[in-house]
Amino acid sequence: MARYQVTLDWVDGPTRTIDAEADETVLAAARPDAALPFGCRTGACGSCVGRLLEVDGEVSDETGVDVADAFAYRRTPRALKPRHRDDGYVLLCIASPRANSRIAVGSQVQSELVDNPWK
Amino acid sequence: MSNANTGSGMEPDHDHTDHHHTGPGYATPQAAVEEGSREELAYVMCLYTGTDIDAPDFVGVVDLDPESDTYTEIVDRVEMPNRGDELHHFGWNACSSSCHMDGLERRHLIVPGQRSSRIHVIDTKDRRNPELVEVIEPEAVFEYDLSAPHTVHCVPGGEILISMLGDADGDLPGGFLQLNDDFEIEGRWEPPGEIEMNYDYWYQPRQNVMVSTEWAAPKTYYPGFDLEDVEEGKYGRRLHFWDWEDGTVEQTIDLGEEGKIPLEIRFLHTPESTHGFVGTALSSNIFHFWHDEDAGEYRAEKAIDFEAREHPDWDMPVPPLTTDILISMDDRYLFGSNWLHGELWMYDISDPANPRRADSLSVGGHFGDVQEIQGRELSAGTQMLQLSLDGERLYWTTSLFSTWDDQFFPEEGERGSVMLKADVDPRDGTLELDEDFLVDFGECPAGPARAHEIRWPDGDCTSDVWQ
Repeated sequence: MARYQVTLDWVDGPTRTIDAEADETVLAAARPDAALPFGCRTGACGSCVGRLLEVDGEVSDETGVDVADAFAYRRTPRALKPRHRDDGYVLLCIASPRANSRIAVGSQVQSELVDNPWK
Repeated sequence: MSNANTGSGMEPDHDHTDHHHTGPGYATPQAAVEEGSREELAYVMCLYTGTDIDAPDFVGVVDLDPESDTYTEIVDRVEMPNRGDELHHFGWNACSSSCHMDGLERRHLIVPGQRSSRIHVIDTKDRRNPELVEVIEPEAVFEYDLSAPHTVHCVPGGEILISMLGDADGDLPGGFLQLNDDFEIEGRWEPPGEIEMNYDYWYQPRQNVMVSTEWAAPKTYYPGFDLEDVEEGKYGRRLHFWDWEDGTVEQTIDLGEEGKIPLEIRFLHTPESTHGFVGTALSSNIFHFWHDEDAGEYRAEKAIDFEAREHPDWDMPVPPLTTDILISMDDRYLFGSNWLHGELWMYDISDPANPRRADSLSVGGHFGDVQEIQGRELSAGTQMLQLSLDGERLYWTTSLFSTWDDQFFPEEGERGSVMLKADVDPRDGTLELDEDFLVDFGECPAGPARAHEIRWPDGDCTSDVWQ
């Protein structure tokens, strides 16, 4: 089974690199050593969302990096809208690695998904 | 109570004339007022889901006895076995609707995880030290193509009915999950296809009616509030009136533009009544509903309208967001919270079609006159309410839902929620903030926690139904 290195980069926090096999999710591979936020574990709630920063050392530019180059989904990422997917957001509870990558993680990434619409 | 419509004309099928009942709860709503003792403990849903705190959500036990050395402290915490549940609403295995069921006790709390779809059962035999005794794992719930458990009510006789907001993928339709008195899944309560969206419900068994409301698909509301979803019709605005015996929708009322996101819904407590109220959170209105005898169907009309307000730091007028409502046990007052504004209000509903504003408090939120208590910044608005059985003490917490909190009160996640109290004078119709009362969930051992629904151990104004 292929193994990949996934670097978890907490926004305003620590960085940690984990090994993840191609048949496990990033969330499962990260536990119990690295406590990522999560909720439904079915791709519906977005609590576990990360933002892809690098794939195989290639840094995201303004156009973003393609999540499909780094991860395969087990189920449809229903919590993400097309704009989120285009911007490199990835649901770590249902995403298994297909390349080495670096991801911004932690609860602050979730709060990037929607703004206060009236402010 | 005197305004209650006698509705379908069904006669009560049991007799309370000798006040003899050995089941749980109270013979009548007035018996709850008279016989219920002062609340000395509160069970409060507390959560870390959606934060970076590596700890499970918990049910907090709060000491409400003013004579106690630990008054206003969290004296016990029942931790869930897993992280990520988002504890939200909860309910009892039995309430006053089973008051003639010998041997049945109000003892077990059914505590769902809104995000995880895991359902916990807590034994409160020892009121101060409740224990987790059963867990229904999400996979068992998904087998019925349901997810996102919300409102828990007991069915007369010991069964439990839970509103479920989504299918196994967090999409629509939702439905209802029934548990038996051994806390095992019995199956879906209703035939498939009765509704799409679901949220809260209340039932009035003597009128053979249940009414349910609409939030949205879990995949829509879980990640946060996106106005685009409202424009695309992904949020609800309808009430569904059910045949309680058959589990089928008999009538659906579209509340229209003024009725967007109908959340908490309550019938009056008196079992004869067909009247009730629902708060439409986004439109920030209160609708009164009742059974129109002449038309032979239910009707709903806007009864209270709360206005948006300009705020110097916001681009658009700030809607009040009427997120919770509660009816006093004597059916005289409707209380509610305007979460974004930081307003807690009290209306006289002795004429249910014409609610009369009695009093309000301006506390927390984006406009509250009071922004700190005992030096503690409040960080969020008035939200989930609970009232003493005698109607003299109103308590509330400040968290709505983790992702929505982060959008509208981002500091709440960092500081945690508070639980506050007002003294109510039901004779004069007044509210007074009790500044000596503060429960600070920011000081929990694992870190600041959010706090949501509140329940009393012996029944309360949002748990008990009478048959």
